[in-house]
Formats: sequence, structure tokens, C-alpha cells
Amino acid sequence: MNKYYSTKWSLLVFAVPALLLFTVFCVYPLLPEIWMSLHRNDGFRNLGFVGLDNFKDAFSSSSFWLAHRNTYLIVGISVLIGLPLSMMLALFMDAQTPWFRRIFKTSAMFPAILSVTVVSEMWVSFYDPNWGLFNSLLKSIGLGSWTHSWLTERRTVMPSIGLSFLWQYIGLNAMLFYAGIKTIPKNYFEAALIDGANFFKVSVKITIPLLQDIIKYVLILSTLGSMAFYSQVRVMTSGGPGDVSRTVVYQMYYTAFETSEFGKGTAIAVIFILECLLISFLIQRFVAREKLEF
Amino acid sequence: MSVPLSKNEASGYRTELEQDQIKSERPAEVIAFRALSEEKGKGITMRKKEKAVGMAILAALTVMSLSACGSKNDNNPSSPGNSASASEQSSNSSGSGEKIKLRVVTITTDENRNHIMEQYIKPNVTKEFPNVDVEFEPGGGGDDMANKMKTFNSSGDMPDVFWDDAGYFTPLKSADSIMDLTPYITKDGFLDKYDVPDALKHVDGKIYSLSSGSDTYFTPVIFYHKDMFEQAGVQVPKTFDELLKAADQLKSKGMVPATTQGKGGWGPQLYLLQQMIQIGDPQAMQDLVANKTDFNNPAVKEGAARIAQLVKAGFFPDGIANLDYGPAMEMFTSKKAAMLLMFTWELPNLAKDDTVDFFPFPGASDKYDSSKFVQYWGSPLNGYAVSTKTKHPDEAVKLAEFLAMMDAKYFESTGGQVSLKTGDTAPEPGPLMKKFIDWYNPIPTKIPSLALNALDSKTSAELGSNGANLLTGEYSADQFNADMQKTWSENTWFKQ
Repeated sequence: MNKYYSTKWSLLVFAVPALLLFTVFCVYPLLPEIWMSLHRNDGFRNLGFVGLDNFKDAFSSSSFWLAHRNTYLIVGISVLIGLPLSMMLALFMDAQTPWFRRIFKTSAMFPAILSVTVVSEMWVSFYDPNWGLFNSLLKSIGLGSWTHSWLTERRTVMPSIGLSFLWQYIGLNAMLFYAGIKTIPKNYFEAALIDGANFFKVSVKITIPLLQDIIKYVLILSTLGSMAFYSQVRVMTSGGPGDVSRTVVYQMYYTAFETSEFGKGTAIAVIFILECLLISFLIQRFVAREKLEF
Repeated sequence: MSVPLSKNEASGYRTELEQDQIKSERPAEVIAFRALSEEKGKGITMRKKEKAVGMAILAALTVMSLSACGSKNDNNPSSPGNSASASEQSSNSSGSGEKIKLRVVTITTDENRNHIMEQYIKPNVTKEFPNVDVEFEPGGGGDDMANKMKTFNSSGDMPDVFWDDAGYFTPLKSADSIMDLTPYITKDGFLDKYDVPDALKHVDGKIYSLSSGSDTYFTPVIFYHKDMFEQAGVQVPKTFDELLKAADQLKSKGMVPATTQGKGGWGPQLYLLQQMIQIGDPQAMQDLVANKTDFNNPAVKEGAARIAQLVKAGFFPDGIANLDYGPAMEMFTSKKAAMLLMFTWELPNLAKDDTVDFFPFPGASDKYDSSKFVQYWGSPLNGYAVSTKTKHPDEAVKLAEFLAMMDAKYFESTGGQVSLKTGDTAPEPGPLMKKFIDWYNPIPTKIPSLALNALDSKTSAELGSNGANLLTGEYSADQFNADMQKTWSENTWFKQ
């Protein structure tokens, strides 16, 4: 059997469909995109070669840099706040009774399976400055001065959108961590308990270090997922007011589809692809490099 | 009888000893099958051939499927082969009774559009076109519709009939994707059904879109709840200052003074900036639409300043910059807000509530008189258009005519004004519609909408974006004017 699978033809048969799909749907679209980024294009017509002008325009636009700041803020919220919280939830879930775990798993997964539009609309109503949950709650406990127009004030709009994103995916990440915890042999924990280690020590010294592969996976997933942040912004604020809540992907959409500057839009897309590749490479290169076997 | 497979057999290889053992244990049909294969292929050599054939089939299937995916929807009637095919199909449709298919993408932006589709188009389209299978596709409106058209055009998948808009007409025309309807509607006499046929003509003298003509009767006004005004002791404001005072009085009674869609800068983009300029200096507004002035004009600057003033005075609810169309309407109809700044396309719906009335935007200077100047919506380019790529141009034009007629019948039935003769007896307009007609029709100077008649895609998008910013109160009118002046200087609308 091994001999059968190791023949060149067999490997080719299995690899070719995936390779073709990847080439057709991932690699090939990059070529016209790169070509378009070097041209003026209004979405209907190619209006001529402009060299690197579209890239220069992108780099000199304040909206482009604001979009980057917003995108990396979301990445920061997702990675620096979301992942530790998800890990804590996973550790907490592992320490619970089977009945509680079942309830917890269902509630943790529930937001993630809901449509982004549904979740975003729900949070828009929470954030309504006149009748929304948050302001009403703040007013009811005497903190009326803390109320905001959450989705239209410059200081609050991105953290507000980030919170809704965090809420939706924190449970899903917790489930991934929990699945990783379950792959760790029980005898490691039993030995630690016999040695008198408490929950905190077991978590820090055994569980988290042995989860490095899962952590790396969730880190890549969260980072790239947050970088491609678009749908929540589209539904909750349409990138506004003005360009205040635009992310890089939204800025790309706005430039291409709303201002009909497809050349400039694709230039932003090319820059963004390079960024994603670089960040992905850095994570692969520096995070959890040693292979664990247990 | 079940026979366990050895590791080698599962992989397709087996020793002679194993083969003999298996033959002795297996039922006759299995042995016969095996023998047949062996006789045909003689072992591994045959399997290699089988694999090679399998690979070839796989490759061929993959190539076929990819070529199917990548094939263009090449239905250009200008190609001789396709022309023959198109005429053949057309004749089939009328001759053999075989239905032809036409795809329609139209705007689906509000309740009016839903009513037209459900109560007028769908019940009548089969009767009018028994040999046509019409497939309707909702296009949304505004940017959504424009983006759909860009995608259809780029992918060679243009619908036969679609809603054209001034915002994306020029590139469609440049790409030769929109048909000149003049010869068709002149020949069949549809053009004669318009009160003012010249109003349909683009600047090049051709007709590209068919509408009910109701658009020119749409104008932004301020709807209000009479009972809420009474409750707050507010009189209908005659000047801009009185409007601000009315807002103060309403607020003091715990009411939200006014609402409109602010999300995406819809209000400022479509009417609010124009109104705020117009009420101060209508000539400056006319000049801006005609590109005779720009955002450095003091009267234009004052327009933006008035929006900032309204925001600062709490005229709108908190969070207006992110308030969508539906929620804004709901705020007014549920009487959470006393006023609604909106186009008169909502008048038939709002008139169902006896407490609703309207007044024109009050003036901010002596230069403006609401009985002498008014903004009108619409453009000859807004309406049902036909793709040059359609296989059935005659039927597609007829369908566009039918759709325009259904629009006209609906708007007329609501008491609205249309310029397309429907043949129906127009119902007596309700009191609110009559008040509107009596005010609007005699107005001598009707100023075209800036949004439809002066802005390219980028300027339009930036006006919306900066307009939404202006509604936050965190972005000054000076900044707005500076940003808009930069964008306006690059506006390509008048260079086309």
C-alpha cells in the first residue's frame, strides 16, 4: 500500500485537483490584480498604464494610514485581549463538570454560528445612543455622563466595533483551545497534581506550553481573520462617519467600488497581500518553532 | 463469505501465493471477475495503463470543467453567428411558442418599489409577455446597484433590461453596454406617450432610459407631525432661525426635533447640502450644479456651515451620522421625532397618517423664496435601459416600456404626478398630495439635483463621506469645504 501511494503518478493524482483549485482561485486572480494595479481603471474600462502611481497615491493618502491604524487596532484587540480571554475560558471549561461543559460549549459556539449581519445589527441596537442598551444601562446606574454616541464618535467607534467582533469569536477560539487541551495526556496533569501543583501552576507550566501548536494555529487564524476585517464595519458603520472606521479591506472596497478607482483599489489589495504574507511568515518563523510530541 | 484483504491486496499488488489462496477461498463470481481482469490486463502493466488512462480522463475532465467556468457569456448580437442565433430564437419565440428569457435587474430601494413589483409588474408581466420568461433580480439601489452593474459589465453578464442611473451611465455608454432606444420607441409610438418627449433626451440627443417621469416631481421637504408641533407650541417655521428655535422648543418637551438618514452621508449627499446652500443663495446652487462656481464660493461655504449649525443645535438625534433610512423613517412614523427631512417619494405613504403635514425648507436670506426655487430629483438618464448585448432587443425594449408604464401607473394611482400618459383616470389626489402639487407645479425655477447632475463617482462618494463627518459635530464646516474643494477640482463629470 505504501508503495502504491508513493508512486509519482499516485501523488500527482491526489495533488493535482487541489493544486489546480488553488492555482485557479488563489494564484491566478493575483495576476490580473497586479496588472490592474498598474493601470487606471474605473470598473468598466481600462484607462491606461500609470506605472506605480496608484501605489504612490495609496501611500500618500491619510485614509490609507487611518485604515491601517484601525486594522491593527482590531488585530491587537483580537490577539492581545481575545486570545488570552479565550484561553482562560478554555481552561475554565476544562475544569468544570461535564454538564456545565455541555452548556458552556453550546453558549460559546452560539455567537460564532450566527451571521455577521445578525450579530452586527444586534450590536448596532445595543450602541444606539438614544435608546440602546449601553446608554440606558449607564443612565440607570447614574453614569449618564459616561454615555456616548458609540458608533459616531472618533474615540469610541473602533473599540465598539472591536468589542462586537471579540464577543462573536471569543467562544470559537476557546473551543479550539479546549480541543487542544483534550489532546494532552491526562497522566501529565495527574503527576502534577500528585506533586501538589494547583490549577494555576498546572495551566502555566503544563497546559499552555503543551498547547503551542494550537496557540500558533489560533494566532494565525485570528491575526489574518482580523486583518481581513470588513463585514462588521460594512454593516455597523459603512466605514464612517467619514473614513473614521475604515479598515484596510474596507478602504480597498471604498476606493474600488465607491469611488470607481479600481486601479487604486487593487494597488491597496496588492500592498495588503504582501503585508499578510509577511505577518504570516513572521508568525511561522518565530512562534512555536519546536515540534512537540507527547 | 467475507474474505479479509491483505495489505498488498488493498494496495492493488499481491504475491502469487496470496493470489492462489484467495482464489481458493473466494466465491466463483469474484474469481471469474479477477480472471477476466487478469486476462485483459495481465498484472501490473495493465494497471499502469489503467492509471494512465485514469489520469488522462481526470485531466480532460478538469480542463473541461475549467473551460466551462472560464467561458465568456459571449452573447454579443453584433457577432454574425450570434445574430443569426438571436433572430432564430426571436422568431421561435413568436412562431413556435417557445419562451425566450429576459433578465431584469431593477432598483429595490423602498416600499414604493416593492409595491410596483408586487402589485403592478408581477401580476401583469405574464399577460403582457406570454412568450417571454422574465427573470427579475433585485438590484438594491445606489452603490449596490452601481457595483452590480460594474460586475455584470466586467464579466460580460449584462442583464437584458436594467435600471440605469446617471451615476454609472457614462462608463456604461463608453463600454458600449447601453442601447440607444430612440429608434425603437419612436417606431412603436411609445415616445408619443410622454408629455415632454425632449425631457428624455441625453445631451447627445439620444434616449437611453425610460421612466415614468415621476422623478421630476420628487423634491426634499420637511414632513412634520402636526400634533407634536401643537403639543410643543411650535408654529411652522418660515425662516432658518425659526427652524432652529422650533428645534429648541421641541427638545424642551423631550422630543427629538428631526430625523433623516445620515449613514453614509445620504442626507447631505442627496439634498441637505443643496438645500442649505439654496435657502441662502439659490443662484449659487444653480451655479454649482452647472460647474460655474465651487466650494470656495462664500454662499456654498455657508451651506455647510448651516448643516454644522443644525447639528450643534441638536436638531438631529444623537448618532445621526450612523442612522440608516429605515430606522430614520421609523423614528418619524412612531412619533419619536417631530420632523422628517425626506424626498416626496415618501409622501403617499406618510399621507396615510392624518397628523402628517409638510413644509418647504425655510429660507435663510431674502434671496430665497420657497415659491420661486425648488430642487428636483431625477435625470433623463434614470430609468429602465436595455443592454446592447441582449439577444432580443425588440422584446427587451418592449419590456422596458412596460416597466416604465407600471411605474407610472403606480405613482399615478397614489395621486403622484407622472409625465407618461397611462390611459388611466388619475384618482383625485389626497389633501396632502394636492397641497404638494399646488405648491410645486407653479414654481418657476426648478434646480436639478447636484447628486445626479454634477458629480462623478469619486466626488459623489467623498460628498457622502465628508457629509457624514459633518453630521458628527467633530468635523468643522471649514474642513468640509476644504476637503470638498480638493475633490471638486478633480471632478471629471464636466470633462466627459
